[in-house]
Amino acid sequence: MLEFQFESLMAFLEMAPHGAYVWPVYVLGLLVLGGLSWVNQRQHRQAIRLVKRQFEREEKHES
Amino acid sequence: MSWRWFHQWGSPRWFYERAHRGQLVCGWLALILLMVGSIWGLGFAPVDYQQGNSYRIIYLHVPVAFLAQSMYAAMAVCAVVLFVWKMKLADVAMQAIAMVGLAFTVLSLVSGAVWGKPTWGTYWVWDARLTSMVILGFLYLGLIGLRAAIQDPDQAGKACGILVLVGVVNLPIIKYSVEWWNTLHQPASLKLTEKPTMPASMWVPLLVNLLGYYIAAAYLVLGSMRAIVIGRERRASWVKELAGRA
Repeated sequence: MLEFQFESLMAFLEMAPHGAYVWPVYVLGLLVLGGLSWVNQRQHRQAIRLVKRQFEREEKHES
Repeated sequence: MSWRWFHQWGSPRWFYERAHRGQLVCGWLALILLMVGSIWGLGFAPVDYQQGNSYRIIYLHVPVAFLAQSMYAAMAVCAVVLFVWKMKLADVAMQAIAMVGLAFTVLSLVSGAVWGKPTWGTYWVWDARLTSMVILGFLYLGLIGLRAAIQDPDQAGKACGILVLVGVVNLPIIKYSVEWWNTLHQPASLKLTEKPTMPASMWVPLLVNLLGYYIAAAYLVLGSMRAIVIGRERRASWVKELAGRA
């Protein structure tokens, strides 16, 4: 059976005496994963926008 | 045996249309696994009798370090596919993996350095494992730089493929560095051929996170590949149709 290893939420956050090492690593991990996901979505939107602009330019040129 | 499934990967359009669904499935699956694995590892796995709570960094460090190497191996497979079958999508995958691989390598180096302080008393030592991981980071950086420096995507793909295949020699060096040389770094925490030295209460959440990070990497690579495909195929009619609908 799983058992929570800390007496309180404060003790969990302090993770005595190593909270200062553990938590920043997980925050950085979250930032890296979230950041890469955001960059991907932005690149995708940008690529579509570029094609749309190019398409509109070509249509204008033809007409 | 039909090779149709393999040839379909030669079509960027076929890939683009299917990758979105794969990306969604991977995204949600990774989110669930990473939440379960991280909460389990951080709050419910027992304290290590030697390292105390600092060992909980393992639930991030080991998966990202595994991934940094696996992604390089995946790029090498893509390079072979590119050279043998001239499949454009293999080059797209190589380009997408390089950025994600670099991010995981940096994350692995930083998390290892932070874990090193309470465990070894120092953030950094120039030992074989750490140095070979830094070289891996430079290989990823070199690939990104090389691609950016060459205008023609086909030429860039070939040049990157060669660099990837040359750099593969670094992978066994990383893996066996802890056995070949004296090092502060501990041996592998998980091996396919041996029973883990940790109790199940510690390695099961590690396995959950390992799976979660691999699936998250697939999600990120698929997303990046879709954006690259749109950019490279911008003159194709299906891309214009897609942009018209957007």
